[in-house]
Amino acid sequence: MAAVADPDEDLVRRVGQGDPAAIQAMVARKLPRMMALAQRMLGDAVEAEDVAQEAMMRAWKQAPRWTPGRAKFDTWLHRVALNLCYDRLRKRREVLPEELPDRADPRGLLAAELGARVDGALKALPERQREAIVLCHYQELGNIEAAGLMGVSVEALESLLGRGRRALRAALADLAPGASPDAIGGRG
Amino acid sequence: MNADRMRDLAEVWGGDLRRWPETERRAAEAFSRSAPEAAERALFAARQLDAALDAAPRPAVSAALRDRVIASAAAAGLRARTVWPGLRKLLWVGGAGWAAAACAGVVFGQVLTSDFERQVQLDVVLEQASVGGLDDTAVLG
Repeated sequence: MAAVADPDEDLVRRVGQGDPAAIQAMVARKLPRMMALAQRMLGDAVEAEDVAQEAMMRAWKQAPRWTPGRAKFDTWLHRVALNLCYDRLRKRREVLPEELPDRADPRGLLAAELGARVDGALKALPERQREAIVLCHYQELGNIEAAGLMGVSVEALESLLGRGRRALRAALADLAPGASPDAIGGRG
Repeated sequence: MNADRMRDLAEVWGGDLRRWPETERRAAEAFSRSAPEAAERALFAARQLDAALDAAPRPAVSAALRDRVIASAAAAGLRARTVWPGLRKLLWVGGAGWAAAACAGVVFGQVLTSDFERQVQLDVVLEQASVGGLDDTAVLG
């Protein structure tokens, strides 16, 4: 099997040696990504902080024994954080039914309100569709990497993404316009 | 690639060709060059949705979380190793030597102290005995 080129390889090696500058650099590079992933998957900032912190703790433990070339460290870290998210989503399903977000009147939405609307629409998506969009759009992972993380084929990922994006467009249809493209920042 | 195919793909992968699978991207880029207006129209709806997605709040990392995570590196056993391994070994051996010397000193000191104490106790006993003897002699006349 060909060795995987990993842009984080040198940083992980230095973290494994306990280099304080590398630890700070790793935090700057990965913590915001893990926080974004967890918050978009869970929709809860406090839970997302817990997940991001735990994922980073596992990164510290893994770094000294990381074998370069087998996988990208970023992909491995996504796997860890996603599993932590799955655990919490599973527990949540056992306790509460999923809440559907309110459908607000879109007229005169401010940027923050628009953001909240989009966030609500994302939360309302079925879990796997949301996951596909989070990994591909927000985390900017490639299709093969995202499919691998989700444990599905690229074709299945494509289907999840397509359904997710269609559902989002339907949920946000009152913002998009024919009416006013500026409302959702259309670029033309 | 044609406009319909491009629209279908944009519905899935979004309006930014950089996010598309490599296999489709090149054909899409070629189509964009050859028919830019048709390509723009095909990508329009997907780009609107991308822009909406980007309007969702970007989760922020608090300073407190960042500090906790940095502190957790030490808790996980990551420590800076600032001395060369050879020098560290030398220091370790040196340190062990000092420790051994200190232990020997303590033991020697203890032996010395107990010998000294024994001697002092003996002197005290003898002195008391002789003092007692004097008293007895005095009392007995």
